[in-house]
Amino acid sequence: MPEKEYQRLTRARSRSAFAVAFMSRSSLWLGKDHLLCVDSSGYTETYKRFYFRDIQAFTLVATKRQTVWNGVLLVPIVICLAGLATNLSFPPRGEAATIITWAIFTVIFIVAFLIHNLLGPTCICHLRTAVQTEELPSLNRLRRVRKVLERIRPFIIAVQGELPPEEISFRMRAAVGSPDSATMAPSVPASPPPGANRPDAPPVIS
Amino acid sequence: MNTLIQCPKCQAWLLEGVFNQLELSPCPACGVPLQAEVFPALFRRINPGQSGEAIMIEGESSCFYHPEKKAVLPCQGCGRFLCALCDCELNGQHFCPACLETGKTKGKIKSLENQRTLYDSIALSLAIYPLLIFYFTLVTAPVVLFVAIRYWNTPLSIVHRTKIRYVLAIVLAFMQIAAWGLLFVTLAGRHRS
Repeated sequence: MPEKEYQRLTRARSRSAFAVAFMSRSSLWLGKDHLLCVDSSGYTETYKRFYFRDIQAFTLVATKRQTVWNGVLLVPIVICLAGLATNLSFPPRGEAATIITWAIFTVIFIVAFLIHNLLGPTCICHLRTAVQTEELPSLNRLRRVRKVLERIRPFIIAVQGELPPEEISFRMRAAVGSPDSATMAPSVPASPPPGANRPDAPPVIS
Repeated sequence: MNTLIQCPKCQAWLLEGVFNQLELSPCPACGVPLQAEVFPALFRRINPGQSGEAIMIEGESSCFYHPEKKAVLPCQGCGRFLCALCDCELNGQHFCPACLETGKTKGKIKSLENQRTLYDSIALSLAIYPLLIFYFTLVTAPVVLFVAIRYWNTPLSIVHRTKIRYVLAIVLAFMQIAAWGLLFVTLAGRHRS
């Protein structure tokens, strides 16, 4: 049997909660020398390749989506439990069909709630190269991101080498040129590289 | 070259504390928990493009597109000589701009292919969804057969996929055609009697 060209890193996930309706889903695959992000509409697939030699950074930000969805799911759970309790406890007792219906809905919402929490905290993951910063919608759980990073890190390090955290901070400060400032407002542009104003200077990718 | 990483939420530039850590750390500006995994490519200089050397000696091989420029290598797609300006490197292979464009549009260079149509999914959907209103299958079943046969050899998804959708679509289409055939035969028999 021939070796598969791509190995699955994540299953297809919708780009957003509303994208489910349009079947727009994104998945991540591991290739020989690149990551492949597949955006599928169901009938067409769009591919984005991120070569290991070009990947500059992954940034992940924790989101409050888990808390929000917990709140969204708790409301029907409480309603269903109240309905179930009312039918079971207070006379006149509800019909068996009514009780079963309430029980089914309660179980559905509780299972959804449990799955949502078992998957862990949510996040947004961005991949950065020299020419773009791309959100990876399929990496929307912190645990999954770490698992994927653990898997692809050796490939990137094999191509690019490794950077210790102290050296990164040093290089960042060198790039900014102001060692005292911890952060800079986004509206303040970084100082242009030397010779950027020359007419024959090559284009600068920023 | 911009070597700075921004907080995806507040867009503040991150300088320390969040890089290549094992856990999330708060953004120094907005406090949102974040983590950044940085690789050496961030600090790599991007080499400026070369313009190609002018021909100094008569008889020296010249670029196909710029006859006044010295050829440095042949295109691996068409074999034409290229100067440094026309040389487009892609995964260690060298192409001229025309071959690169052709390779992209005609799908000859796989690493440039960025979209595919999944005809197997189209065929299967055409075989399944019209079952909700069965009358539609009179039209869609032959269309399913056409799509499945016409695009049988068209490449499927770039990530591994089997032809099972085509097979299912064809089986369903044949069953629908058989059902319609049976219905027409029955109706014709009743009409005669």
